[in-house]
Amino acid sequence: MQENDSPRVIGKGRARSGVNVDEAASQALQQALNDAVINRSGLEYISCTGFGRYGVSFRDIQVTEITTAARGAHFANPTSTTILDIGGQCTRAIGITETGKVKHFKSNDKCAAGSGMFIQRAAKYLEIPLEQVGELSLQASHPQPISSVCAVLAESEIINHVSAGVTVADILRGIHESLADRAGSLLKRVEMKGDLTLIGGVAKQAGIVKAIEDRLKVRVYVPRDCDFVCALGAALLGLKRLASKIAVAAEAS
Amino acid sequence: MRLASGVDVGSTQTKAVVMSDNGGINILARALVDTGANVQRAAERAFDKCCAEAGIQTGDVGFVVGTGYGRYKIAFGNAQMTEISCHAKGAGFLCPSTRTVIDMGGQDSKAISVGANGEVLDFVMNDKCAAGTGRFLANAAEVMGISLDEIGPLSLKGKYPVKLATVCTVFVESDILSYLAQGKKGEDILNGVHLAIAKRTVSLARRINLEPEITMTGGVARNCGMVHALEEVLARKLQISPDAHFMGAVGAALFALEKLDRSFEFGTWKGQHATSGGH
Repeated sequence: MQENDSPRVIGKGRARSGVNVDEAASQALQQALNDAVINRSGLEYISCTGFGRYGVSFRDIQVTEITTAARGAHFANPTSTTILDIGGQCTRAIGITETGKVKHFKSNDKCAAGSGMFIQRAAKYLEIPLEQVGELSLQASHPQPISSVCAVLAESEIINHVSAGVTVADILRGIHESLADRAGSLLKRVEMKGDLTLIGGVAKQAGIVKAIEDRLKVRVYVPRDCDFVCALGAALLGLKRLASKIAVAAEAS
Repeated sequence: MRLASGVDVGSTQTKAVVMSDNGGINILARALVDTGANVQRAAERAFDKCCAEAGIQTGDVGFVVGTGYGRYKIAFGNAQMTEISCHAKGAGFLCPSTRTVIDMGGQDSKAISVGANGEVLDFVMNDKCAAGTGRFLANAAEVMGISLDEIGPLSLKGKYPVKLATVCTVFVESDILSYLAQGKKGEDILNGVHLAIAKRTVSLARRINLEPEITMTGGVARNCGMVHALEEVLARKLQISPDAHFMGAVGAALFALEKLDRSFEFGTWKGQHATSGGH
């Protein structure tokens, strides 16, 4: 990100985390630099977030993804005070203040049932590419409820639905609704108010957005680049740190 | 001689036993088949196989009690009982000092508090999460690239069990893979996996009165690694019957024998055979 009068995004990049997170971080950063058409030396501050943040050797600071999600989501949609982050292995509900500070949060990282992993496995089972899941789910006419709470036990249920002739669209929407219900119980615990900002990779699936709106009776806002929101928040915090560092240096001299 | 059968249609495997009452009660034969998609057919196959094993005709069996999650799909059954009652009954018969049953099956696990006559006093059940079920262990075995029968013995060799952050079957898969990538030994990984599941199962079981003697039943009782891990967490020996896997079917057959006795007592027994419809 760059800041003249107001902060703005000038480049972004991504890489698969894999086993070596340091390597992945440096690849993603290089991509972002290329995208922004600047050199590494042009960067003044690097903040890291996410589960592998301590593994990044070139970081200036690391921040939890809860704080960065709050910052990033607030920047993307300043009026929303509730954030739902559905990632591959973890789902979080975060209540924030009007200025983007974390008020309370609840996360589920102990069970795959409410996470993107559930969808990923189901898609593999149903032999549907992950990118098509969201659109297909939107086409459901009679969403098939999934009664199992467990992602593994739900697989047997999905098989039963398939053999009973339930359409793939109806099954996928059932899965999205089950995720929405799980998210609902997390959101209740952070006192959801007003519109919801949905972030994380799963937010790209139109079906989950529809399912959350239907089941939880809220308006859902999905920021562009919904899976970059934590990186965005980290960059915003980096700019802030940089500004105070410069101010301190100016005062000292 | 009175002959009765119990058929336990589990989520993964279907078990049948034939028992006789000839002054003393004996198990004549056992049969085990995979449940598969056709539950009704699995029950028939297990029953037929068991009768063949016992050297009797299916028509010789006076009463059949079905149990397990697929019990209502057994076309030839005379009555159904819950698997909770049947496991308690079976354990009370085969291991008479049993006061607690820990049953780990293919897709659920239970703890049952058992009275002196094999009656159910209390129970808790986990059918919401695959942790603590055979399904979990089958998944772990698959990720490790070894057979389900091998994981128990291998886990017993582990000296430095790994720690798991969760017991979610899905997440444990990636935990196992990253431990393998780190070069951890398979036996230490499996030891940790078994211990984590044992802890979870014991904390479920503690919600009832965990009085000794504790008998373990269900298919997972065949896994020596799980038995050992449970014993370690409970700090007490478990009673494992050679028929642990058949416990539900044994209990069902005992109920069936009682029904036969009652029919004789009340004179309602007309000698008709239990089997009908395809048998």
